[in-house]
Amino acid sequence: MLSTIAKPFQPLLTVRASDPEDARRRKLLNILLVGVMLITLIALVTIIVSAVMGVAGEPWEVMLLFGMAVGALIGVAIIFAINRYRAGWLASALFLLLLTAVITFGDDAREVVAGRSLFMFAIPITMASVLIRPYASFILAGVTAVLISVIAISINIIPNTPAILSFMILALVSWLSARSLEHALSDLRAINRELDQRVAQRTQDLSDALSREQAESSKNQAILESIADGVIVFDKRGRAIVANASVAQLMGHSPEEIMQNNIESLMAKDVDEADREMTIKLLQDESLRTPSFKFRWGTKTLSVSFATVRSVSGVIGNVMVCRDFTREAELDRMKSAFLSMTSHELRTPLNAILGYSDMLQEEVYGSITSEQRGTIRRITANTSRMLGMVNNLLDQAQIEAGKLAIHVEPFAIENLIDDLRSVATVLAENKGLDLTCTIAPEVPSTLASDSQRLHQILLNLVGNAVKFTQKGSVGVRVFLPDADHWAFAVADTGAGIPTEAQSYIFEPFRQVDDPITRNNIGSGLGLSIVKQLTHLLGGSIQLKSLVGQGSTFTVILPLAPIEEAQTA
Amino acid sequence: MTMNKIALVIEDDFDAATIFATALGKAGFETEVISEGDAAVARLETVTPALILLDLHLPRVVGTEILAGIRANERLKDTRVIVTTADSRMGESVRPQADLVLLKPTTFSQVRDLASRLVPGMRKTATAKLENPS
Repeated sequence: MLSTIAKPFQPLLTVRASDPEDARRRKLLNILLVGVMLITLIALVTIIVSAVMGVAGEPWEVMLLFGMAVGALIGVAIIFAINRYRAGWLASALFLLLLTAVITFGDDAREVVAGRSLFMFAIPITMASVLIRPYASFILAGVTAVLISVIAISINIIPNTPAILSFMILALVSWLSARSLEHALSDLRAINRELDQRVAQRTQDLSDALSREQAESSKNQAILESIADGVIVFDKRGRAIVANASVAQLMGHSPEEIMQNNIESLMAKDVDEADREMTIKLLQDESLRTPSFKFRWGTKTLSVSFATVRSVSGVIGNVMVCRDFTREAELDRMKSAFLSMTSHELRTPLNAILGYSDMLQEEVYGSITSEQRGTIRRITANTSRMLGMVNNLLDQAQIEAGKLAIHVEPFAIENLIDDLRSVATVLAENKGLDLTCTIAPEVPSTLASDSQRLHQILLNLVGNAVKFTQKGSVGVRVFLPDADHWAFAVADTGAGIPTEAQSYIFEPFRQVDDPITRNNIGSGLGLSIVKQLTHLLGGSIQLKSLVGQGSTFTVILPLAPIEEAQTA
Repeated sequence: MTMNKIALVIEDDFDAATIFATALGKAGFETEVISEGDAAVARLETVTPALILLDLHLPRVVGTEILAGIRANERLKDTRVIVTTADSRMGESVRPQADLVLLKPTTFSQVRDLASRLVPGMRKTATAKLENPS
């Protein structure tokens, strides 16, 4: 209640000062001044009322009292101003001196030094310790002692020594209590300050940590957003918890649609069922994962890879990284289309030339002269060579592009050898060579490999054997070299291959540098392709040759079917 | 009873068809060339050839379907079928249904000689000596 009334006057009483002790003392003085002012005002009113009612004394006495009261008001106002705008100690000292003076001269001298007014001196002494400094009570006590001694002597009485001693003791007690109060306050302020500092430090730490966290998080977000690849993270329940802008664009969904959705519903519209199932399997089962998995997502082709996301506390979920593979897939398709088109477009006319030459040679359109027959033979031989080169170049291109697919399936070894015979017999007979084909009885009738590639290998080796053999025979033998392998050997009675050449004839575009082979120029790719195909089929190739005695190429292949693969 | 000498060459490449037809003609067949799959299917409803030379890569109706149709048809049970293809895997897959599978490139003399051996009563040609090549 009182504080509510006092509140509006607070600013008036409070003095701003850098030293909190000073501010406190000055505020205290202000309160005292207000108190004095109120008392003075009451006194003034009392004087006026008594004068009007005629109960006061002589008019000069009334005038004197009135003047004193007004003087006291002015004095209070001056001290207030000094306290507010100048030094607090000066105002306090003035106030206390004024108070002491009023006490000293406000009563009869005898009463002052030994009577009723003597105890009044205790007031300024006590106040001094609180208003100025603790030790100030001693100064006031000293001043009081001097005053009452002087007055006592002036009116011829012995100074009141017990009273002076009592004032000194009072000063001591005031000093002690004021000092204790100041120390307690200063300790409290120190504690407060420390507390404030601690709170400020904590606040700063927290704010730093928060801004660090924010910076880190926004950095990660910025990195994630700037990645051209689509990144999407699924939690353990399969719901999307992180998705960047790229993945939203690739999947054709907005980021909001992606978040909290599972992969099944995201793929539902744009991915066919088989790819959907495969993706779900790869996402869930770490052991099935391959470096990348490609499938169509709407109009795009995506290349997708998966990884498990782990933190210190365990598995968080799985991340799926998608790359737009549309252009590469299109180029791939175009390349394949080009290769297959080229291969067809180049082979078909060459086959036609061979066919028509054969017709002429077989005298379908009438008899031909021996010169014509010779010419037709040259046409046939050159066309065959060109066809072989085209086939080899396309195969080499396919192997290099990683496009040569291997299809493992059961086949009859009898059929493979029959196919070979139907083509190679003519070649051999044209050169007057014997071609023999034998299959060892222990060889299983059905084997598992890529029969088309085997046919190619066989034809190449037999073709070479025929090409480099001038007289004698070419033999093909199928057998089992050990329990886990089967093999075929192509042996000829030709010129043989020098030891130094045996090391490089399997390299692309290398041929034995020999005057004899100059007559049999080819692309130099045949044996290189044979070796690469053999490797693709999981086998190896061996060569045994002696110059002048002939060569034997042996291709050894596993009996157990190999995994289907692509050259890569 | 006159001998059935009708042969069909079902092949979309003009040159290959010409060469095969000529070869079959030389072997003594009355040869007809059909270059499209659906036309071949239609023609086979009215004619019963002694021999069919069938390419597997044909427009509209593929060779394997035509072959399956021939084998399912009781009327064509005596018809001999030679399949020509550049794809040995395809050749391998139809081997049980075909009388002979020839991998391209297939030569003139090969077709002439093998066809005459496949259909008994056809004239043997001078170069038909592939009886036992090994």
